Amino acid sequence: MKVFGAGKLVDSVISAGLCCGCGACINLCPYFHSYRGKTAAIFPCNLETGRCFAYCPKVELDPDALSRFLFKQPYDGSPLGAFRSIHVSRAGAKVKKRAFQSGGTVSAIMYFALRSKRIGGAVLTGKQGLLPVPSLVTRPADVFRQSLSKYAAAPTLAALNKAVAEGYGNLGVVATPCQSTAIAQMRSNPMNDPAFKDPTALVVGLFCTWALDFRRFEAFLAERMSLPDIVKVDIPPPPASVLEVYLKEVKREFPLDVIRAFVPEACGYCPDMTAEFADVSVGVLEGRPEMNTLIVRTERGEEMVREARRLGYLELDELPDENRDHLMWAAANKKKRCILRCREAGRLNGEEGKACLRLSAETTERILK
Amino acid sequence: MSFLIDEGKNIQHVLMGNEAIVRGALEAGVNVATGYPGTPSSEVIEAFSKVARKRNVYVEWSTNEKVATEVAAAASFAGLRSLCVMKQNGVNVASDFLLHLASSGTRGGMLLVTCDDPGALSSVNEGESRLFARLLEMPLLEPGDFQETKDIIRWAYDLSEKIGIIVMLRSVTRLSHASGNVRFGPLPETAARAKFTYDGPLLDPVTGPMISMIPARPEPTHGRQQEKLKLAKEMFETCRFNTYTGPPEPELLIVTSSICSLYSREAVDVLGLGQRVGVLKLATTWPLPNKLLTKHLASTKKVLFVEEVAPTLEDHVKVIAAESMSEIGAKTFYGKKSGHVPSVGELNPDIVIAALSRLFDVPYQPVPPAFSEKVKGLAERYAPVRGIMFCPGCPHRASFWSITSALQLDARQGFVCGDIGCYALAAFPTGFSTNKTLHSMGSGSGLASGFGKLKQFGMDQPVVAVCGDSTFFHAAMPALANAIHHRSPFTLVLLDNRGTAMTGFQPHPGSPTDVLGDPAPALDMEKICVAMGAKVVVSDPFDLEKTRKKLNRLLESTEGAKVLILRQACALSPERRAKKKYEITVDEDRCRGENCGCNRICTRIFGCPGLIWDREKKVSRIDDIICTACGVCPDICPAGAIIKKEVS
Repeated sequence: MKVFGAGKLVDSVISAGLCCGCGACINLCPYFHSYRGKTAAIFPCNLETGRCFAYCPKVELDPDALSRFLFKQPYDGSPLGAFRSIHVSRAGAKVKKRAFQSGGTVSAIMYFALRSKRIGGAVLTGKQGLLPVPSLVTRPADVFRQSLSKYAAAPTLAALNKAVAEGYGNLGVVATPCQSTAIAQMRSNPMNDPAFKDPTALVVGLFCTWALDFRRFEAFLAERMSLPDIVKVDIPPPPASVLEVYLKEVKREFPLDVIRAFVPEACGYCPDMTAEFADVSVGVLEGRPEMNTLIVRTERGEEMVREARRLGYLELDELPDENRDHLMWAAANKKKRCILRCREAGRLNGEEGKACLRLSAETTERILK
Repeated sequence: MSFLIDEGKNIQHVLMGNEAIVRGALEAGVNVATGYPGTPSSEVIEAFSKVARKRNVYVEWSTNEKVATEVAAAASFAGLRSLCVMKQNGVNVASDFLLHLASSGTRGGMLLVTCDDPGALSSVNEGESRLFARLLEMPLLEPGDFQETKDIIRWAYDLSEKIGIIVMLRSVTRLSHASGNVRFGPLPETAARAKFTYDGPLLDPVTGPMISMIPARPEPTHGRQQEKLKLAKEMFETCRFNTYTGPPEPELLIVTSSICSLYSREAVDVLGLGQRVGVLKLATTWPLPNKLLTKHLASTKKVLFVEEVAPTLEDHVKVIAAESMSEIGAKTFYGKKSGHVPSVGELNPDIVIAALSRLFDVPYQPVPPAFSEKVKGLAERYAPVRGIMFCPGCPHRASFWSITSALQLDARQGFVCGDIGCYALAAFPTGFSTNKTLHSMGSGSGLASGFGKLKQFGMDQPVVAVCGDSTFFHAAMPALANAIHHRSPFTLVLLDNRGTAMTGFQPHPGSPTDVLGDPAPALDMEKICVAMGAKVVVSDPFDLEKTRKKLNRLLESTEGAKVLILRQACALSPERRAKKKYEITVDEDRCRGENCGCNRICTRIFGCPGLIWDREKKVSRIDDIICTACGVCPDICPAGAIIKKEVS
């Protein structure tokens, strides 16, 4: 992977409108900050190489190098990425029933990991009003305060970087696909820092089709309702195709076609629906809103899931073929759309420091087929 | 007690031009002196303040130049001698009233003293005030040296009273700020009584009301004004301050005025052209004395104009030459238009020498090339490379840090409309290049008021205006009123550093003391803005994070004009200079230096001169001599390497 500096990151990603706001470049240095869902470089940095660029999932992304680093195998463009097993899952009996999103698998795993001290802290995403706010959680019970989907892009990795700077290690992170990719890049020590130590012990990836631009989404809702009255926002699984906003008394629904107007440009350049570079990935299970789909990818992920299940924090079941097929179909479509978009924008391979994605001709063909 | 009121026979002092103005006015019995600070004019009022009690002169720093002119005019209307002083840009501000004043006329002698800044050494532009004399139809004087500056003032008052009109006296930086020998004259009695008489006939200039025009009848006032100028012109024909040195029939006649007359005489002397070149130094430059000029033009074939800024003499003398061409024949003219004299920037003897050596083909080299090379080499070696920047510990640096941060985080391509004050430097890297417009006093707020109303045309960039406390009273209040009334959603950041800092801490209406140091009612800007209808938030700019957050919230509000007052005294103010609040040190082990994670943000971006980059150790250091211990840089450092310890 070719690494450039902050100037190139600003030009190629932020100014180009391709920043997904993941927070990977934040809290590494005094220059990059996130404010109300947007990442900004407040002053110019003229270093020729920097971690900000190296970690960014939106520029010079080389899935093959990451796959070789994480999974010791080449990237083949298969829809769900590399994995060891795939399941239906939900929180186990050791986890009290709460208002989870779907089956509560993510909360259950993080809760277990913290309780069993397999991780020293969990980097999660809570919210203030509609604004997703990342935080570091060290008490197991606090995991549940951060549950429920956020829908707006969140600078979660800013909290990871901050925790690392403060000396935390052995961290668990709940990350969207872009964030999982950024963490994988970070873990590969792209700056060849001799003092580098992988700060993560577990990355739980989330399935993601797109996120919303917080500012535009908030402005849209603010014109239609009193923001403090919003209790919860939800996108029920297909075929509903609506975004639900639960107010104190009523529920409002907006067609997803309307809401999609607030999807940032960056999401169109994302090849990953299932957080392929996480240790385990979790998403909804179509047709069964009380359950999750769980993909186990790495050895450490596998060990965590096995122990969580053994000790009653997690329940697993077999994923029916039709669900698996549909998931693969959706993930493959996202990959195709991304490749076509990148190609159209001249950001598939091409100019160094500007390309979003580096893929071999064979892999590209395989994905597009 | 100031030496400016020394009395006795044959007293001589070395005076700055601005002090010579004051002594001249005192000898002429001036009663009221007003002004607004602005380099190079500020020393005039400051010098007056030191002798005001003793000489019974009423002195004030007025809110702006127009008000200064009005306050001085009131004294004139009441029969006193008065003076108002300003820099060239100030004449623009005063010009609205001046047009009417020149029309209504004056009673007690009144002078408008303008100190122009050729080369814009301390200005945003190279204004030319002389053209106002012609535009507004008032007499203009330009003394040529320090003695003459003092002497001409008494003559100017007599002229003003004789013809009943304000007289403009123009100085320039090198006259105002350079010094020369001045022999003092006697000081008059200080007793004076003021009374405004208005019950005579409407058009009686001595006993009637002072009214600048009669609707639809320009003849009585405008016609009378022109008669006055005619009278002035006649007096100028024989004015002793217009002088000529040189042969009776010079090969070349230099026509010059003000400080350029000294440059011209020096140039002629250096080149040994005394027998070939004549120097006509004019002190009365509008209206020009026709007969005097025609006489001198007749004596030569070639004329060189030596003057700074606009080709004012050049244009006006050419008209006279054209009008009398049948008598004196055609002339060849050299000056700004021919390219012999530069059309921008200050002049100096070398420039005049270069013009003359070209015209006379006399070789001249100001300094040997080897010497120039040596000077250049020494300068490069020993002079520190420093851009134009805020002082160490300047609150503006902290303010613009937060303003820039807030605008960048807001990420809607917001910008700042700059204004006149030290903070104008925020158009440069010292203020993180945040100011994107810069014009006249108060115009930042006016522009911002306008930008704020462009939403209907799709403009959604947030707009910030900055202005200092003195500028707020001078000219920003009307713009703020406009914005509030029209619900223009801009944010005015009022940089309150407790004084007219850039020109030397002169008091303004928000100050608790007046020019004499006496207690004065201080107008409360916060209350004023609230009363005007703005949402007002106050912050200490040294608290970077709080200030940034407050500004971000204001930028997001769409409800009309907002004001953020950033209150922190200027680093040069006595209260800040008295004692260092902190001991500031750098922990070299923690300093990340040029590495990823910092890249010298303190010395490369924040750029306070109190921070030094140690090239050998690759760490930052504090320059204890100039560090004011404002305590801001520790909050900039991402590694906690800059440490502040409170001094007990």
